[in-house]
Amino acid sequence: MGRDRFPKQSLGSLYSRIKQSRVLMVGAGGIGCELLKNLVLTGFGEVHIIDLDTIDLSNLNRQFLFRHEHIKKSKALVAKETAGRFNPNVKLEAHHANIKDAEFTVDWFKGFNLVFNALDNLDARRHVNKMCLAAEVPLIESGTTGFNGQVQVIQRGKTECYDCTPKQTPKSFPVCTIRSTPSQPIHCIVWAKSYLFTEIFGTSEDDAAEFDHSEDAENAKEIENLRQESQALKAIRDSMGSDEFPRRVFEKVFGDDIKRLRSMEDMWKSRRPPEALDYDRVSQSASGIDPSISVKDQENWNLAENFVVFSDSLRRLSARLRDTQAKVSDGDAPPILSFDKDDVDTLDFVTASANLRSFIFGIGTKSKFDIKQMAGNIIPAIATTNAMTAGLCVLQAFHVMRGDMEKARMVFLTRSTERVISGEPLHAPNPDCPVCGVAQSKLVVDPTRATLNDLVESLLRLELGYGEEFSVNNEVGILYDPDLDDNLPKKLSDLGIKGDSFLTVVDEDDDNPRVNLVLSISEQPLPEDSKPVLLPEKVEVPRKPKAVAPAVEPAPPVANGVAHAPNAADNADLKRKRNASDIGLEDEQIKKRGKVAEETSHAVEEDLVVVEDSGNGAIVIDD
Amino acid sequence: MSLCLNRLQEERKQWRKDHPFGFFAKPQKNAQGVLDLKFWSCGVPGKDKTLWEGGLFKLDVIFPDEYPTKPPKCKFKPPLFHPNVYPSGTVCLSILNEEEGWKPAITIKDILLGIQDLLDEPNPDSPAQADAYNLFKRDRPAYEKKIKQIVKENPAL
Repeated sequence: MGRDRFPKQSLGSLYSRIKQSRVLMVGAGGIGCELLKNLVLTGFGEVHIIDLDTIDLSNLNRQFLFRHEHIKKSKALVAKETAGRFNPNVKLEAHHANIKDAEFTVDWFKGFNLVFNALDNLDARRHVNKMCLAAEVPLIESGTTGFNGQVQVIQRGKTECYDCTPKQTPKSFPVCTIRSTPSQPIHCIVWAKSYLFTEIFGTSEDDAAEFDHSEDAENAKEIENLRQESQALKAIRDSMGSDEFPRRVFEKVFGDDIKRLRSMEDMWKSRRPPEALDYDRVSQSASGIDPSISVKDQENWNLAENFVVFSDSLRRLSARLRDTQAKVSDGDAPPILSFDKDDVDTLDFVTASANLRSFIFGIGTKSKFDIKQMAGNIIPAIATTNAMTAGLCVLQAFHVMRGDMEKARMVFLTRSTERVISGEPLHAPNPDCPVCGVAQSKLVVDPTRATLNDLVESLLRLELGYGEEFSVNNEVGILYDPDLDDNLPKKLSDLGIKGDSFLTVVDEDDDNPRVNLVLSISEQPLPEDSKPVLLPEKVEVPRKPKAVAPAVEPAPPVANGVAHAPNAADNADLKRKRNASDIGLEDEQIKKRGKVAEETSHAVEEDLVVVEDSGNGAIVIDD
Repeated sequence: MSLCLNRLQEERKQWRKDHPFGFFAKPQKNAQGVLDLKFWSCGVPGKDKTLWEGGLFKLDVIFPDEYPTKPPKCKFKPPLFHPNVYPSGTVCLSILNEEEGWKPAITIKDILLGIQDLLDEPNPDSPAQADAYNLFKRDRPAYEKKIKQIVKENPAL
């Protein structure tokens, strides 16, 4: 009996298409391992696996293609090796690389019939979404958090793309809360991890050449003040390793800084004022406590215990930094330490510092175990959710491969007593979406000759009929707009425009502007007598839909780089059709959608903690 | 174009077409001459008939990738002597605070006008630097003298 007997029986004629298909799977982690197993056992002809990550001990409970001996090896390569044995008829290719690398061009994406996203971050998801739209390859997008999962089918011109609906970004904490007025344990944890730790062991902002370029005689005094401030901190850093070091750090951050904060009385009118800690008093009360207290990670340590762990971990980390400093040769960047939840020394330091600050502000303390979760941003990952989600991905892939988008669904997985899996029909593209509500085209550029002026004047103005008011943008910002013409004589290559990058032309006409035009650059030498920039196919850039009817109108269909503006009759037709079939369901769907979206709001965001250092150690983080 | 850049491009367009008198706001040029939309150099003039009249105060406005879901960071260059400005120059203002007043609909114009209001109307409930705050609270004449000196050091053109 052949290995493919059952899939043949259940899939019928679709099976031969699956067998001949070439698919890409981005990400070989939680969902990826399950998905690869499904793809291989279903018999997809050729599967490319890409993942930049290596295997970690904490992956092994659910990423079942990996074993202990694989730790530190490439996920993509090991997944290929393990899953390849499940079905020798399937051809597997592994890429240990970042999907955002330049080698994975639009043309490379075009080589696949279908792309599966099994990613864990917004940035890569957005990138693959964009590439699949440009390459016109259908995309099955998926994600899980805890018991929640979701699968979305994306096809250019037919469905919503990943960016058609706004995505919730991790919440961040404002500067003032972290630096001056913490009220929750997480505020102190963020302070310890992102401010104090980096100030002592990382790249201090005050070390950065921040003030250099603003120096002029008039501001000399202010600059001098700031310099003194940074000197004070630097002096403390320079005493690292000495016996006095823990005392000096402690007295600055838990003593002087707190007293200074407290001196701003109005801040404490409606809040409990912070109580600075006295080094000698605390250290006396801590005598006789052994630093090994730090192994008790489920207990809430008292003030003295936190003090002991603080001093001890500070010593351990200082010694480590000194060791690495000794090995660094001159001219290299000075070594730094960075927080890692699995690095006991750094975790001890953050736990103790956060708790000491909590004592100062009268906030409840947390155990080391809790702080590991909060600071390391550990999100529960459940093997069963991943397995179910990966199964749903393949079922949706069948609809796409049959060309039966009517049957494809947006699927949500929730922990519910009523219904664990719920689906809803795919939504039409959002006409205002900046990512897919655009016209797309390839732009052939001769890198030796093409200037921005060639693009702006001869191609956009003369050939495509753009008026005075428009701008040309790349991934960084603006290359040309009516107030910025000094780049016009420059070569595109000198402006950093390379093959396989994108340019966006935004029509800034006040009435009836065109939709944005996205040009994907393809570099090739062109004959001397031809223009240095040209469009390989004719492009029509439709006007933006009028704002009055965005709710029902699907975006103009875009095919092969040519966007067709729907005429009035088409619009009316579409409207009728949709009303007839959907009108009764609409409200209910929206309600359901809202509810599920709320429940799975975290599903899309696995990279929950985003910490950014903003000015003078101001910190932003989500919870 | 990402949602962030798309919005910033729109902000630039609106500002180009119309902006309040005495202000400036321009994305900075990178080495290749491209305007970096996530990094703007701006200038806020002191309001007429206030202590701050005649001054022009320069600040950088830095937009995160999550803009406009998250607010930009505004940082005076050089740091400004003001009760609600951190020693690093970062402005502490409710509309720039994700947990308080920030809304994605707030434009660059709104932000700069908000900062202009803040200059002469400091918020004593959320001080950001001790020097300016304490002088403001304890010795108003000395505070006002200091502000006048700062205005002289940062004249409007």
